[in-house]
Amino acid sequence: MPAFLRVLFLLLTSHVRQWPLRTLLTIIGVALGVSASVAVRTANVDVLRSFEQAVMTVAGPTTLEVSGGETGFDEQIIARLRTIAGVTSVSPVILQTAVRMTGEQVDQAVQVVGLDLLAEFNTRGFRLSQPATESRLMSMIRPEAVFLGAKLATEWNLSVDDQVDLLMGSRRLICRVAGILRNESDRPSSWERMAVMDIAAAQIAFGMVGKLDRIDIVTDEKKTVEDVAQGLRTVLPPHMTVERPANRTRQVEQMVRAFRLNLTVLSWVGLLVGMFLIYNTMAFAVAQRRRQIGIYRAIGMTQSRVAALFLMEAGLFGFLGGIAGSAAGVVLAQELVALLSRTISDLYAPVSAGEGGLLWTGQFWRITLEGIVIGCVVSMLGAVGPSLDASRTATVRALAPGDYEASQQLRVGMLAVMGVSLLVVTGLLSLPGPIGGVPVSGYAATLSLLAGLACLAPICVTRWPRRRQYMGLEGGMHGVMRGIAVEHASRSPGRNGVTVSALMVGLAIMIGVLVMVRSFRHTVELWVTDTVLADLVVAPSMWLRGTEIGGVGRSLPPTWLHVLSSIPEVAAVDSYRDVRVEVNGQRVAVVSRDLRLHAQWSRYLVRKGDSSEQLIRAADTRGLLVSEVLANRLGVEEGSTLEILTPSGPAQFPIVAVFYDYSTDGGKLLMDRALYQSLWHDDLVTVFPVYLSAGASLDPVRERIIEQLSDAVGGGLPPLVISNTELRKEILDIFDRTFLLTYVLEAIAVVIAMLGIVNTLVTSVLERRREFATLRAIGGGSEQIQQLVLWEAAYLGVVGIGLGLIGGGFLSLLLIKVINKQSFGWTIQMIIPVGALVQAVVLAVIATLVAGYFPARWAARQPVVDGLREE
Amino acid sequence: MVAALRDVNLEIKPGEFCAFVGPSGCGKSTLLHLVAGLDLPTSGEIVLDGRSTQNLTSAEWTKIRRETIGIVFQAFHLVHGLTAEENIALPLMLRGENGREIAKRVDEMLDRVGMKHRRRHRPAELSGGEQQRIAIARALAHGPRLLLADEPTGNIDSHQGAGIMALIRELATSGGQTVLLVTHSVQAAQAADYVWTMRDGQLVSRTERMTEVVTS
Repeated sequence: MPAFLRVLFLLLTSHVRQWPLRTLLTIIGVALGVSASVAVRTANVDVLRSFEQAVMTVAGPTTLEVSGGETGFDEQIIARLRTIAGVTSVSPVILQTAVRMTGEQVDQAVQVVGLDLLAEFNTRGFRLSQPATESRLMSMIRPEAVFLGAKLATEWNLSVDDQVDLLMGSRRLICRVAGILRNESDRPSSWERMAVMDIAAAQIAFGMVGKLDRIDIVTDEKKTVEDVAQGLRTVLPPHMTVERPANRTRQVEQMVRAFRLNLTVLSWVGLLVGMFLIYNTMAFAVAQRRRQIGIYRAIGMTQSRVAALFLMEAGLFGFLGGIAGSAAGVVLAQELVALLSRTISDLYAPVSAGEGGLLWTGQFWRITLEGIVIGCVVSMLGAVGPSLDASRTATVRALAPGDYEASQQLRVGMLAVMGVSLLVVTGLLSLPGPIGGVPVSGYAATLSLLAGLACLAPICVTRWPRRRQYMGLEGGMHGVMRGIAVEHASRSPGRNGVTVSALMVGLAIMIGVLVMVRSFRHTVELWVTDTVLADLVVAPSMWLRGTEIGGVGRSLPPTWLHVLSSIPEVAAVDSYRDVRVEVNGQRVAVVSRDLRLHAQWSRYLVRKGDSSEQLIRAADTRGLLVSEVLANRLGVEEGSTLEILTPSGPAQFPIVAVFYDYSTDGGKLLMDRALYQSLWHDDLVTVFPVYLSAGASLDPVRERIIEQLSDAVGGGLPPLVISNTELRKEILDIFDRTFLLTYVLEAIAVVIAMLGIVNTLVTSVLERRREFATLRAIGGGSEQIQQLVLWEAAYLGVVGIGLGLIGGGFLSLLLIKVINKQSFGWTIQMIIPVGALVQAVVLAVIATLVAGYFPARWAARQPVVDGLREE
Repeated sequence: MVAALRDVNLEIKPGEFCAFVGPSGCGKSTLLHLVAGLDLPTSGEIVLDGRSTQNLTSAEWTKIRRETIGIVFQAFHLVHGLTAEENIALPLMLRGENGREIAKRVDEMLDRVGMKHRRRHRPAELSGGEQQRIAIARALAHGPRLLLADEPTGNIDSHQGAGIMALIRELATSGGQTVLLVTHSVQAAQAADYVWTMRDGQLVSRTERMTEVVTS
């Protein structure tokens, strides 16, 4: 081992032995930061990877996919595609979702792929557990035959010839397990968790006779895929798309990009706060070993080696924290994957949770390595300042008695000026727009804001108490204890400034996000209250499961309109259709409904003018209402026109109004149902909003609807009949679920900030053992020593919380007006949630005092004589 | 385990000024710490005011120190953040006395140690001798009956040291306090009524109103 490393090892181990608790706290802090970051990154990757894996598995050798949106398309198109040069094979596909209706796994959804099994049982990367005898081949294509992936069959405890009760679309079918799908390759395959049916059986099961969801094409290797795609486009209706399978993954990635990015950035907060913790620890280590540094310098250690000594010590903490954090992160990620995939399915597109079981896999080791690198980098970055400070130690001064804090006093003013400058920079950074849809300057403004306040922390710690006569004899016992505590805290503006900053950052982000989320929720509540006015909503039985349930499962027959309208207490029934189509490369929701009826009974929150008037105008002029998010994204406004490729060809639509909508960040178009039906040839309905006559009571009508429709469902599940209150609650539940992860990440950052307080107080207690011993010697009780430390904790807490409130206020403005607006395009009405803020502050105060309690107790129990001997 | 003190038997009567001298590590300071209840003996008994301290709890010892004992340290041990007058007020505040009483007593003590003009100064702004005067004032502020002085002149020059010893002697005599002084200094020990010489944790000899002590 090189001599320097031997010295380093010697010094490191001595320090760790001397301060085991501080070392442990620091490593825990780093580990927590790393775990949050690793968990979010892993979950993010895992969810999309499982989506990609599913796409690519099902695609098999497919080079191009032809699809026609959510409603499916006529299967006759296949014949036309076969005529195109370069097309080797054309395979019809149905891609829907079924839900298990009985058994232990009731309510679990499974993706069902309908394929031409006779032609394809050998080409898609799975093999069937059944021998392909002629009779077996015939049994494959029976209408109730379903093949289950091996893992799914095991989980559902099913084997060949067992029966399984499935909800397919709106129909409930008893299917027979005709065989098990085995993975042919060594790599994990999504077939193991899917179900396969013959295409004809799937068409019948999902009520899609004569329709397809997709056509998979294998192209001739001699021709370029793009050339074949061009050829295909010439024979397809304009609204249909031809794309490579991988494009779908990219689309979903694009859709959830802002969501993932914001989550990732939030997960870095823990690392940022952890950096303060490391700074704090290393600054203490430098101050504590100032004399030692002087000795090293005196005996010939170079400045760079002194710096390296401290940097490597921090690196070691990062290394250990990285290992622990990665392991914790992997465990946390497994929990997050389910939450995240649920949220993405709620809001964007159906994705399933990954396979889980990351422990000891190749990915686990990659994650661990990543975590260690993150831990080391963050720790060493946090230690740069103290390490440089150590390397610049003046040998003579270090060896002579003296206080280096005195020199830091000079920098406090300079830091304050820098802090104010950074706040000005924050203001300037909040002005520019996004770059490529990413609010780059908004994020930079956030960093600048936090850095600015962190620079102001030392002056707040040091100057605040000196402005007033805080001590004096009239203050009594508490006054003097408070005075000593405050004076001591203000004597170390460097170290305490860092602790206060860590608390400030944790709290500012907590408050900023809290205000943003509460404001957002308030806005959504207002929007729901103003726009969701139907008394009852009749919806498909699995409608509340969002996109997870597949296209067919989210539609109802149009004939129900008459059934519902015939109920005496029903005053009006709207037919609401919601499908996803591609507009200018964006996947948007096209909503169609009876606009005149809606104008009479409900409203949209339009940006300009009156809702009813504009709804009627849109119906009259075959115009559109466009959501704010989409208008911003497409760069259109009231009065513009928009071209959309419909199944009937390209059509120009005037934009009558722009409305606020918070149901999706992908954007929404609203048109009259008659117009939609004429262009899309789709008469299905997603839900029926029902308006009751005045004085009609809800429950009897609801019962009557269920009763009347039970005949119409034809053996399927009865529809959901949701009251207005229930629907509003469901919308807000989805909202709360979406932000659950945010709260978890915030909590981690606050816990790390609390570790910072414990760290500082432990340091303070260690340094002041002599002072405490003196107080004990002149008659101070142990409870009074405890009080002293708690006062110090309270003082740091007050300054940190004060700054955190200021930071949180500004941060919420940045989040609402800049980051969220630029990421998602939503207008959020800002509110100050006083109650929640008080709770956050009380929580921070309690956490601070709890963090102070243990060092205080420890301080009070130290032997007096040992303390008096301390130099 | 190293025994810091062995077979130490002595009685100090109220109002006496007793000094302990001896080489480093002979157990002088340990003796003082035991008397103050800062350390506890593994065996033996300390009787204060005719009352055994054998089974006293930490809180009871705190009460005794707060009411009966004043301590002066070699390193002064003033609280850095507090002014001179606040340091003196500290034991009175710890006793929970009222502000007016404290102010009066602090004034009186500052006057007695000749530091009225430095009352608002912090320890860092005072010389070693001045700091020790404040420490003596703090030790006597609450009127203890027992003053323990651990090398009170150890950190200051001999000129200031003489002044400090004279001050302790004067204040103790006028207040009727019993004083236990631990020192290396022959000069300092001369202020005592009698001197115990210690070696290896034992009391070796007692000299009345000494004029010369060998401290080897």
